Amino acid sequence: MAVPVRDRAYDVVVLGGGVNGAGVARDCAMRGLSVLLLEKQDLACGASGASSGMIHGGIRYMTSDRRVTEQASRDAGYIRHIAPHLTFRIPFLLPFATHEEGSRLLDRVTWYATEVYVGTYDLFQPLKGGKPSTRLSAEELYRVEPSLRPGLHGAVTLDEWGIDGQRLCVLNALSAAEHGAEVRTWTEATTLVREGGRVVAVRFRDAVTGEHGEARAGVVVNATGGWSPRFGRANGIQVPMRPGKGVHLSLDRRHGNYGIICTAVDGRQMFLMPHEMESIIGTTDDDFFGDPDDLDATADEVEYLIDGAASLVPSVRDARITRAWWGVRTTLFEYGVEEDDLSRDHRIYDHAGEGSAGLLSFVGGKLASFRAQSEELTDRVVAMLGRAVLPCRTHEVPLPGGDEVPSPRELAARHGVPEAVAARIVFRHGSLAREVLRIADDDPRMKLVVCRDEGILAAEVAWIARHEKVRRLQDLRRRCRLALGGCGGLDCARPAAQIAARELGWDADRLRAELSDLLEVGWRERRPVLDGWQLAEEELLRAVHRGLGGL
Amino acid sequence: MPGLRIECDVLVVGGGMAGATAALAAREGGARVVLASKAPGSTGLSGGAVSVAQDPACMPDTPFAARSGVVESARRIAATRPGHPYRLLRDRLDRLWNAIEFATGQLSAVLAPPTGRNRWILTPFGHAHPAATCHRTMAAGDLAEVRGTLLVCGFEGHLGWDPGLVASGAERVRSLGGPASRHVLLDMFRWEDGALGRPFDLARMLEAPGAAEEAGRVLRRVLARGDAAAVLPPVLGIDPEGRVADRIAAEAGIPVAEFLSDLPSVPGLRLHRAVEARLAAAGVEVLRGEVRAGAGPDLPATVGGREVVARSWVLASGRFVGGGIERRGELREGILGLPVLASEGPFADPSIRFATRPPASLTLRDSRAPQPLLAAGLRVDDALHPLDAEGRVLHPRVFAAGAVVGGHDPASDGTGMGVAMFTGWLAGRSAAGRDA
Repeated sequence: MAVPVRDRAYDVVVLGGGVNGAGVARDCAMRGLSVLLLEKQDLACGASGASSGMIHGGIRYMTSDRRVTEQASRDAGYIRHIAPHLTFRIPFLLPFATHEEGSRLLDRVTWYATEVYVGTYDLFQPLKGGKPSTRLSAEELYRVEPSLRPGLHGAVTLDEWGIDGQRLCVLNALSAAEHGAEVRTWTEATTLVREGGRVVAVRFRDAVTGEHGEARAGVVVNATGGWSPRFGRANGIQVPMRPGKGVHLSLDRRHGNYGIICTAVDGRQMFLMPHEMESIIGTTDDDFFGDPDDLDATADEVEYLIDGAASLVPSVRDARITRAWWGVRTTLFEYGVEEDDLSRDHRIYDHAGEGSAGLLSFVGGKLASFRAQSEELTDRVVAMLGRAVLPCRTHEVPLPGGDEVPSPRELAARHGVPEAVAARIVFRHGSLAREVLRIADDDPRMKLVVCRDEGILAAEVAWIARHEKVRRLQDLRRRCRLALGGCGGLDCARPAAQIAARELGWDADRLRAELSDLLEVGWRERRPVLDGWQLAEEELLRAVHRGLGGL
Repeated sequence: MPGLRIECDVLVVGGGMAGATAALAAREGGARVVLASKAPGSTGLSGGAVSVAQDPACMPDTPFAARSGVVESARRIAATRPGHPYRLLRDRLDRLWNAIEFATGQLSAVLAPPTGRNRWILTPFGHAHPAATCHRTMAAGDLAEVRGTLLVCGFEGHLGWDPGLVASGAERVRSLGGPASRHVLLDMFRWEDGALGRPFDLARMLEAPGAAEEAGRVLRRVLARGDAAAVLPPVLGIDPEGRVADRIAAEAGIPVAEFLSDLPSVPGLRLHRAVEARLAAAGVEVLRGEVRAGAGPDLPATVGGREVVARSWVLASGRFVGGGIERRGELREGILGLPVLASEGPFADPSIRFATRPPASLTLRDSRAPQPLLAAGLRVDDALHPLDAEGRVLHPRVFAAGAVVGGHDPASDGTGMGVAMFTGWLAGRSAAGRDA
């Protein structure tokens, strides 16, 4: 049903609800511009939602892109300031796998070089509130991490910040909306409308309602990430980039309390790290020229990751891998360079030369630098509009809930909910956790713990459905990790769907369709990793959802 | 430790529906039977339905009354699904009904007698599920039998079940001969520990003296003219002797039933307990623990520290939940180390070896499709002897039953309990030297 919605004019139309799109929308809105954000799926559905979940300074890029490391480290500090509830420290160990120290000149050089390298990184640590590195003897190393394979000779430590990258993205969009931006998820920009060599409007289609609309725009910002090549082809513009596919694996629990830097079979650096309630193994990096909507992790990517992690932590072979997940990162285009050596810098393309004045494309960048990238992009937008606006304040104004981190213990006692659950709610909502739990004060049944894996309370599902731009049930994957944990949604998907349906006015058919959709996404992530006890979990999931649910 | 050694006719490995049926069928013929059970498995997690077969050929709009019976449906599955156990046993499908009647009769404390056609029972997901039979506490909710309005109940103040969603399952099959329905919230568990109670908590609350009667009075107050039966969430007591459903019904003056359960499952635990009680009453010796060092008939195996020597073995160890089949980089059977050679779809062809293939290549992208990986198990001959990699019978007195036998994906074809009862019954009789 093609029902035209009203045509409106905006200063800026942002295409793409990843962290850059949401960040630009927030910055533009805070500077007083009128903003429309269009996202064809949900916020954080692409690379932003499939990042490693770190706002690291990028020690890897220190020698090649020192500026990238500095900017990332500085901005990581700002993110810590505007969303303190959403970050957590991950101490990394960089073990030495070489022979007895001092036995060979080469080994001594390796030790020395690593220490200098990490020591140089220490110079950036104050920017992001990180701790300086330490050197651990073999004895100290095995004391802090007994699961490491025997025969290691020590380590240096490296302090980084973990973050829930999906919520970071969501919070930026919510903040943009608070400052007046219109955020439309599940709404795809279909066509750029041009007049006299200028892009003047964007046509869009709402995938949920089937509505079509047109928004007139002073400037259009293309932040569609891995979808840019497709978007460019459809609209006759070039967006040069080297898209790369990155795959991660999740374990059903924290496999240790330290991140471990290990070396993959091809010599690449990778990691096994504790992250929220699970551990993550990452990351692959391969050129990808396919359809970003049609991705799967392959058997060799899964093996590659497990092999790399098991080279230092053999017990990961016995761990239960709950899912594989992936994204397409955009890196700057360069010919004849290995994927890992591509710059993590970013670039803004102005398409005026292609008969599309008023259109900017953003390519590259890092999660940790999203705010600075957004600021730079917003400066360009402002220059193109030629308007006087407020100064950028995205580095000092907290994201929603970021003004204070309440004590989970106090909240748990005051509202009568389990402390572990309160801690998760504080982590996700910061000071707004109080508002979330107030729902449970007014309606005691909202204290029902919907998911014990992720600590999701019924009240939180209701809060998110009311306030966090939820249009589809699967959006809760990115708001509160619904059905992402070891349970796969076994006993929480249905109750959560029921609560969301009540809040959002879904009838039974819609509820079942949403549940089916949520479970289908999970199935695609579990398919490549079905092994060991995860197969028993899968048997139960199928018995309940397919067998009993008829979904 | 010769004093601890048990010599018996039949060792059954696995205490779920397949193992219990095998043990009871062997015991019926007078055999001395030992059953090894390490933990409740799929049967203990089941939702209350005994799913045997639904007609694969009928259209979604075929009325209940025009659908083929359970045995006829199994025959059609046998005709259309190459790897399915019913196909393998197609020449003996005339005994399927004997097996279902035997197993449900043995467990009649919990299971309602089967009628020969499928009952249609609501699920918490708003779906009507066909099953050859179900728990006694569920029979009054059979959508093909309710004459009048079906009252679907949830609990006021409890978010675990949404009666509107449950009732939508009845609306969806109304044109097939199902009843009209309406839904209400019963004001029963509003107080805080009730509102937050998990299914087992609620089941225990209802078993307390007077609680079922109080529930019946609450239900009576919301009844309207034309209501023919009421269905409630599946928490109407763990112990069948508690007769919670009957007591609510007596007080309310209307037939009362549970709908099916997802997890955690009160009906699953109820069935598990009934199985254990029946095994004990029938004189089956149950040993707790894993089977170790078992090499097969006439050789000693260790079960929970006891040494057992059996003339025949029935392997009823389940699939992935039960632990009978496992995958650690490669699919295998864990107790006798048998190869995993049977599955469904393209992998029903016994010449295709798939045990070492990566998981993604044994699954289909559409989760609704039958999944070969989830259908993987032992290949058996038509006497239920497991076969080795060369297609030879492993041992003339080793039999396999239930989900450890490959070729069916119970979640998508709805034959899990039927295969368990049929293969269990056949294997138990064969193992006891009885004519199967």
